[in-house]
Amino acid sequence: MKLQKEKEQPEIPTASMADIAFLLIVFFMLTTVISATKGIEHILPQQDKDQTEQVEKEESIYIKINADGTYSVDQKEPRSIRDTQFLYDYVYGKVSRNYKKPIIIHVNPEANYEAMIAVLDTLKQVEEQVAKEGRLPADKGLTITIPTSSDLEAWGY
Amino acid sequence: MKLRKTKTIEAYIPTASMADIAFLLIVFFMITTVFQVDKTVLTLPASVVRSEVVKGSAFIVVTEDGYIKVSDGKEDTHPIDASDVLSFAVDLMSKDPEQHVVLKADKRVKWHVIDKILEQLQQARVKNLQFLTELKTKGQ
Repeated sequence: MKLQKEKEQPEIPTASMADIAFLLIVFFMLTTVISATKGIEHILPQQDKDQTEQVEKEESIYIKINADGTYSVDQKEPRSIRDTQFLYDYVYGKVSRNYKKPIIIHVNPEANYEAMIAVLDTLKQVEEQVAKEGRLPADKGLTITIPTSSDLEAWGY
Repeated sequence: MKLRKTKTIEAYIPTASMADIAFLLIVFFMITTVFQVDKTVLTLPASVVRSEVVKGSAFIVVTEDGYIKVSDGKEDTHPIDASDVLSFAVDLMSKDPEQHVVLKADKRVKWHVIDKILEQLQQARVKNLQFLTELKTKGQ
């Protein structure tokens, strides 16, 4: 007697493919953090100490941030850190004429980080405004320096 | 004449393309996924001008008490000593001199803590720094 073998068609089971895929989706959805992390950009100076260009206090816009939450610009009377409009107008007036004017932010070691960000933010707003008016060459920004304590020592401030 | 009985068509939802749709979604999530390297909760300072953080940036986290944590952008942040930022930054720069570094610091941190970090970053010749901030809303 001849046995009749039924031929089975070979196939890969794909029924569970969607399940696997959805499992992976759930994993990626749970681990995804669509966090809009944003911040203020700042280019750190790249120089050798001996090549440092000496900038005179008088030639620059000198912003001093004090420990008590006040700031003063170019020997003017101190103002509260919340009053950034004055700083904006002052810096804008100078920078719109000469964008190369160096700006120095001298932060007191006991001042809050928040105060420095407030000042830097104001300067960046000025930069945006000046760039919008076409007074700033492309790829150029304002010359903002945040000297570290050893820089200040070297400059004799 | 007897009408032939109409053939009933069985109703079904086509599921053949289900896997395709699913894989499309997977690819989307895989591309958009950014594994957060730092989960420290702190109060960021606020600013109006903000730009997107570059993907894969290294992180330096400073808490209100002055504790410092770092990450090279791939691994989770780990605590280090304030004086070890230099060696961390030098290591980063040796791998990629253009590496972006993000400073995530609490707004109440005293400047001398940040100052020490900036000094070490400058020594290591870090170029691109970003101060992480929150969006400033009116009245703040």
